[in-house]
Amino acid sequence: MMSESSRFTEDILTTARGKAESLVREAEAEAQRASEEAKLAISKDVETLIRNARADADAVKRRQISEARHRSKIREQQQKDVVMQEVLVEVKKRSLEFTLNETRYIPLLSRLIETGIRELGVNAATIHLNEADLKRVSALAVEKELKSLSERVKIEWSREPIAASGGAIISSSDGRVRIVSTLDQRLEALEPKLLIEAGKTLFGE
Amino acid sequence: MSGIETVKAIVDAEKEAARIVEDATTRAAAIRKKIGSSIQEQRQQMLAEAKKNASTIAERAKEEGRIEADRYEKEYEQNLRELVAKASAKKAATVEKLMAIITQVDK
Repeated sequence: MMSESSRFTEDILTTARGKAESLVREAEAEAQRASEEAKLAISKDVETLIRNARADADAVKRRQISEARHRSKIREQQQKDVVMQEVLVEVKKRSLEFTLNETRYIPLLSRLIETGIRELGVNAATIHLNEADLKRVSALAVEKELKSLSERVKIEWSREPIAASGGAIISSSDGRVRIVSTLDQRLEALEPKLLIEAGKTLFGE
Repeated sequence: MSGIETVKAIVDAEKEAARIVEDATTRAAAIRKKIGSSIQEQRQQMLAEAKKNASTIAERAKEEGRIEADRYEKEYEQNLRELVAKASAKKAATVEKLMAIITQVDK
């Protein structure tokens, strides 16, 4: 039979063992919780890292394709410009040739002069031509084309040649106001329109 | 048992109890420490693996992007060649049209 003191000491030890067990159990439970929380947190971090990597990767891919599109567009524009410039060069060449065909050129020259005179709004005008036109274009032929206008406006022909591939400069008699209707000026002024029309015809733009 | 022996037995029991609790406290601390380092190790391992995956994803996307961009440019180039060929065939007609614009003067 256990003595009173033996029971007392046994109680002390039992209490201590209980407390010890509880301490260890608590630590184990705490460790378990910490482990689960950590797993969750790590999973979230991993998920975020992979999600960001995918987003970055998509952006890289999109950028590469976008750059390819941009490069292609630039190449397209460059090649279209080459064709358009070839057409413009040909048009300039044809314009020069056009001035050699008097049957077609005289009516154009006459219209350019007529329009210039109308724009000037004067009763007397001086017409300036280039050297080649001065030598070969008959003033009479032009005046014939301008019949109705030349009856109302006094036209003088300057003997000083102008630097132009064709067309004319029409000035008031005192030379203070002038309308430049040369072919070169016309080509320059019409270039934006010509490019638009060329784009439409060549590329359906 | 004498009174002295009884007191000694109680003192011994108290000492033993203190040792048991101290051992348990040390064990609990070891458990906490172990889980802490285990978590840290697991975190490093999982993040390293994830970074490796992320790097693979980035490399793959870069390669896919390169292939797709290359394919796009080749297709575009082919279409462009056809477009330019068609346009070249229309050059003469375009020149005529532009000449008509130049030579047409509205009165």
